[in-house]
Amino acid sequence: MINAIELTDIVKRYGDFVAVDRLNLAIPTGRIVGFLGPNGAGKTTTIRMLMSIIYPDSGSIRVLGHPRAIDVKDRIGYLPEERGLYRKMTVDATLRYFGKLKGLRGTELSARIGETLERIELADWRYKRVEALSKGMSQKLQFVVTILHRPELVILDEPFSGLDPINMEMLKNLVMDLRREGTTVVFSTHQMEQAQRLCDRLVLINRGRKLIEGTLDEIRARFSSRMVVIEGEGDFAPLERIEGVIDAEITDGGARIEVPKEVDPDRILRRAIELGRISRFEVQRLDLHEVFVKLVQQDQGGPPPARPVAETAGGGAA
Amino acid sequence: MNKILVVAVREYIETVKTKTFLVSSILLPMLMILLIFGTEKIGKLAEKQIVKTRAIALVDHTGVVTSALQARVAAYNRQHPQRKLAFEPVAPAKADLDALRADVRAGKLYAYLVIPADVLAPPPEDAPPASAPAAGSLPGTPATAPAGPACELGRKDSTLEIQMALQKMLDETIARLRFERHRPPIDYDLVRRLETPVNLREVDVRSGQDTSGSELIRFMTPFAFMFLLFMGTMTISQGLLTSVIEEKSSRVVEVLLSAISPTQMMAGKILGMVGVGATLMLIWGAVGYGGAESRGMGYLVTPYRLTFVVLYFIPGFLLFSAFLAAVGAACNTLKEAQSMAAPLTLLTIVPMMLWWQISQNPNGILSVVLSYIPPITPFVMILRVCADPETPMVQIVSTLAILWLAVVAVIWLAGKVFRVGVLMYGKQPSFKELLRWLRYA
Repeated sequence: MINAIELTDIVKRYGDFVAVDRLNLAIPTGRIVGFLGPNGAGKTTTIRMLMSIIYPDSGSIRVLGHPRAIDVKDRIGYLPEERGLYRKMTVDATLRYFGKLKGLRGTELSARIGETLERIELADWRYKRVEALSKGMSQKLQFVVTILHRPELVILDEPFSGLDPINMEMLKNLVMDLRREGTTVVFSTHQMEQAQRLCDRLVLINRGRKLIEGTLDEIRARFSSRMVVIEGEGDFAPLERIEGVIDAEITDGGARIEVPKEVDPDRILRRAIELGRISRFEVQRLDLHEVFVKLVQQDQGGPPPARPVAETAGGGAA
Repeated sequence: MNKILVVAVREYIETVKTKTFLVSSILLPMLMILLIFGTEKIGKLAEKQIVKTRAIALVDHTGVVTSALQARVAAYNRQHPQRKLAFEPVAPAKADLDALRADVRAGKLYAYLVIPADVLAPPPEDAPPASAPAAGSLPGTPATAPAGPACELGRKDSTLEIQMALQKMLDETIARLRFERHRPPIDYDLVRRLETPVNLREVDVRSGQDTSGSELIRFMTPFAFMFLLFMGTMTISQGLLTSVIEEKSSRVVEVLLSAISPTQMMAGKILGMVGVGATLMLIWGAVGYGGAESRGMGYLVTPYRLTFVVLYFIPGFLLFSAFLAAVGAACNTLKEAQSMAAPLTLLTIVPMMLWWQISQNPNGILSVVLSYIPPITPFVMILRVCADPETPMVQIVSTLAILWLAVVAVIWLAGKVFRVGVLMYGKQPSFKELLRWLRYA
């Protein structure tokens, strides 16, 4: 299978700061690939290099078989992390303008605008100004601007940030539609839950380097430990001190306890029954969020400052 | 190229649609027409005021000037019934200058005028005669002061009209008295007749038209052409600055860059803005020509002059818009951008301030040197070319060459700053950081 994107030994520096450090990456055609990493990991820088908005100091890039995305920009859709539209232009004029910039013309463009607005239920707003749209509507419009010209490759930088659950669901469906049509989709996100549900493959980067790449199962397989989930009433703090426990998160309503594969979860259950009333007991593999935190933590050589999921706004521009 | 045009067309249409454009394209020329052609009417309107008779204390040490002056004031009052003057003779023995000054300050008197006793004596022979204003100085510059004993006028305000009226009355009254006292006597009226100024009729050599009487407007023509260029440049550079900053702060630029390169974006914006500038100048030019034609002065707008307006307009606009596109890309707010562009704005004031000197001495050293400073080359050259149709071709070609070189250099540098700056948010870059950007890009 041909790769839609191939990055080889990409390096980008800003003065002394290395934003991207010898990054190698291959994105197969027709897949949805999640591009994950904490703030400042180099996601946006990498995406901008993919789009030929900035250029790497060294290394080579191939996008849709071309060394420079500029030559194939009409075949790519890009939704930047920080995005905006002309507030004074109408929805129709906006789509017309960006459609023209992407090489669409005449009746084809008009037809495309009509049918797309129909699909995202904005047809009534066609001749209204962008500033009249609600936040959710302008997010939809923004997304449609990205895919109006039916690109083969769609790059979405933090598409879900700032969306409410309804709009998030709608956007997710649009992304799934793209996939059915055979479009390659790359999206960066902090939201592990979305990545886990949508992506065929995942790439995790930190401090400009790739930490891990593969399918969800492959990535989870790297960590053999298990997560014991307990819900109930009682003081479960002593569970933390059971021999072999790697990590424990104790709350009023229960506990999440990470143990190596060798440790029998029954031991924890037996101890938990002594401590309180158990309403739920489950043994899971690590979820993506936990894998993400662990990997970044290992890479940084210390505990992460916060749960990355919570950090959805702003940043990430390095 | 296609995409550059798409950007240019949008930039043009969106700018032409704004209120700012409407104001500067329609309202501003209307205001200018009002100012240029309505001056007479406005002047009359300004004088429309009934002033109560102005009392002037007259201290006459000669004893003979008073009656002659009274006759002249009566004539003046007949001509200006709404702004009369009245002399109130004060005996020199009783005259106390301090008391008179106090009365003027308190408003009891409009002014006081002291005429010294020796004013009637002929001036010494070696005294230089009063000369006309020096050539090249602004109109209205007073002649050098004549020698001899001085009369003293003390007043609070500085109305030029009264000063000139009094000066004329004194000149004529005292000269007549001097002639009468001369031995043998000389007929003053004969001298006046013989001294009648020669009638100099001015003719425009291209049209053969009599242009006497329109000197001021002809002096102003180079300035008008330069002002046209100046207003066009300022309007579009402001427009470009605003539009770049707006796109940057609304993050539209991020979306744009998914479809076009920063260079294409900058090129499109500049092209669109040059179109806006051309439209503006076309409107103003047409209004100006129409106005001049309606007053029989259409001959001032020659194909020669228009050719140079276009020749210097294009590189001039390109230079300004490229510079301001880069400034806009580097800054985050309009305020920041305006202070960063201030040095350029200040430079453009130079030809505005020196226009009289340049257009009166179009081939002087000052004019030639200023022609070779690229951002102001278009303004200076338009002044020179309009003032002197014989401006050396060598200088025209070389200034244009240097201007175009500067345009290429500025576009090249601006492109680099634009590429980096347009995606940088946060604080305004220092000069050192700007230099670093030039290395990045």
